[in-house]
Amino acid sequence: MMLKWVVRSQSVLLFGTGLVFPFYIVFLSESGASFSEFGLAYGLFTVSAALVHHWVGRYSDLFGRKIFLLVSAWGNAIVYLVFPVVQEMLAVYIIQVVLGILGALQKTSEKALVADFTDGSNRGVLIGRYHFWISLWSGAAVMVSGFLIDLLTLSVIFYLGSFICFLSGVLTLFIQEEKELGS
Amino acid sequence: MSLKTRWKILLAISIYGVLVSLSILFHQQSDDLLVHDVSRLFPDHVNEIVEGNEIESFQNAIHDANENDLAVSIGGARHSQGGHSYYEDSVFLDMTSYNDIVSIEPDEKLITVESGATWADVQEAVNPYGLSVKVMQSSNVFTIGGSLSSNVHGRDPRYGSIIETVHSFRLLQFDGTIVDVTPEEHPSLFQSVIGGFGLFGVILDVTLELQDNEIYLATTESIDLDEYPEYIRKHVMDQGDVGLHFARLSASPDDLLEDMYFTTYHVVDESESDYPTKEELDDLTPLQEEEHVLRDKFAFGLSRKFDWAKTAVWDLQQKLYGENDEDEWITRNNAMRPPIEFLEYDSSRNTDILQEYFVPVDHFPTFVGDLREIVRKEDLNLLNATVRYMPKSTDATMSYAKEDMLAIVIYVNHSMSDKGIEHMEQATQQMVDAALDLGGTYYLTYQLYPTKEQLKEAYPNFDEFLRLKEQFDPNKRFMNNFYEEYES
Ligand SMILES: Cc1cc2nc3c(=O)[nH]c(=O)nc-3n(C[C@H](O)[C@H](O)[C@H](O)COP(=O)(O)OP(=O)(O)OC[C@H]3O[C@@H](n4cnc5c(N)ncnc54)[C@H](O)[C@@H]3O)c2cc1C
Repeated sequence: MMLKWVVRSQSVLLFGTGLVFPFYIVFLSESGASFSEFGLAYGLFTVSAALVHHWVGRYSDLFGRKIFLLVSAWGNAIVYLVFPVVQEMLAVYIIQVVLGILGALQKTSEKALVADFTDGSNRGVLIGRYHFWISLWSGAAVMVSGFLIDLLTLSVIFYLGSFICFLSGVLTLFIQEEKELGS
Repeated sequence: MSLKTRWKILLAISIYGVLVSLSILFHQQSDDLLVHDVSRLFPDHVNEIVEGNEIESFQNAIHDANENDLAVSIGGARHSQGGHSYYEDSVFLDMTSYNDIVSIEPDEKLITVESGATWADVQEAVNPYGLSVKVMQSSNVFTIGGSLSSNVHGRDPRYGSIIETVHSFRLLQFDGTIVDVTPEEHPSLFQSVIGGFGLFGVILDVTLELQDNEIYLATTESIDLDEYPEYIRKHVMDQGDVGLHFARLSASPDDLLEDMYFTTYHVVDESESDYPTKEELDDLTPLQEEEHVLRDKFAFGLSRKFDWAKTAVWDLQQKLYGENDEDEWITRNNAMRPPIEFLEYDSSRNTDILQEYFVPVDHFPTFVGDLREIVRKEDLNLLNATVRYMPKSTDATMSYAKEDMLAIVIYVNHSMSDKGIEHMEQATQQMVDAALDLGGTYYLTYQLYPTKEQLKEAYPNFDEFLRLKEQFDPNKRFMNNFYEEYES
């Protein structure tokens, strides 16, 4: 049952990103001197994601979804390593665009992959189960991080999140796409 | 797992490992010129950081600063909390590597030490001689230069502030010359450099008076706040056999600033029957290191966030300190290095700050009542409150103990947002007013929240201090945020 590895790798990924998320908001609101800078940084994330969804969908049909999940997980791992070092607002904007793209890679290919691994009869049950685990982990992460925020430093949290995303990438390697692609 | 997958994972781990190391490396180097203090509020970019253990490097730095018309700021352990130790675009002298013990004269009970050394360094140097520091802060992480510049005080009720125990020091002045400063030869420099926040020059080496490393027995008891002044008068003030004394007030919301207990260390004289034997002394004398840092850090972290944890910590403290040391000996040196590392904190959203207020002994309960009201009304996140006796000490130009005082140190956690800072600023002004109304003062080494009027009321010599600054540093070469805030 290949869906198992999708659930595992993506749960771990969402745990990692969920852990960083609240801090990341703090980080943004602190780097942005004003609300307009904060708004711009936040908006860039969403807009860049929107722009690549199309493209991801098309190419994942051609090349498989796994590679995109891998890029997303390891990409996040690397970007989180950059955070503790960043000082310029411009760098923050660039990171936002990159994170938006990575997020889109993940979202579209994850959904496509879940669809690949399920079929008509029990698809609903499996998708339900999939989302159950994913949401549980990301929710847990936000709570854990809400607690850690006063006990650890911002940089440590970013390193922790990075490591977890890296782990998610390793788990992604175990997914084997059975379905014929490009058909 | 296939061989190919295994190789991929291995490769990924190696690459990732390299990236993590790079990130940590850059992180450590990032923005070296941004200087801040332990509170991490109000950091400044400096022009250059100069460190070293040669006087020439500091002399050259001052020479260059004169040439390029740059300000000079001086930092020790940077535990002052109002930007006293740095200044925007200045040449920042980091004194912490200038930290050798120059000499110890056991017979005269004197030590000469470079100003970047910490009390921990001094304790290590003098402990083998059976000697101990006379006046220092309640913990030992501070530098000697920083301590002189704040004219610090500690827990020994037999001494006033540190100025009373300074034999002499050498001062590097704005023009690069070095003067030997003693109270006899350069009284006004002596009185204003000590307590002068680095505004008169760089303190190089300092000769300090020492005393014997006494043996103490500690008593911890709870006491009614209203009876505390009387206890001080009867059992602490002018008692030769009280080596150290301090008290704690509850920060738990249930009995906020009401529950109180004190600890008094009595000197055990060699002639007394309960003086330790030679073997026992050998066990007692080595310096103890801080234990349980992580545990305490975590407990303190919880009490920052939760009221129940404040109560739990208070109860625990009372158990820990209140019951066991009754008949345990402790050397003075070991009693003067209580835990502190667990207080290190670097959340980016909020910070722990300290403040200290001095009020005449008999007004103390009234002041604590006022404080309680302000803490409640302003909903301050009070984490800790300690109390000590501060005998009259007026040698320094900027003296805070105009008469025998009781001093309360409060530890408050507050948000680092602009709003959080503003809130703390106005709450501070209320507390300062409460102290001033009772003939009290506040400690200058913390935030610059009090107004200039409040400063002048607390320190009536401030104008004289400014005049001396102009006399000894006419070009204002030595600058810091404290001076900038209050000079005009
Ligand atoms: C947790 C904590 C506990 C404390 N407990 C006490 C206490 O019990 N009693 C007490 O009195 N105070 C106490 N303080 C305050 C502390 O003693 C002062 O802030 C002291 O100045 C800190 O020393 P530092 O080495 O960190 O100096 P810094 O903060 O680095 O510098 C303080 C001032 O000294 C100047 N300076 C430093 N080195 C030199 C030098 N070589 N030549 C000339 N000027 C110099 C700086 O320019 C600055 O103006 C406490 C502070 C903290 C944070």
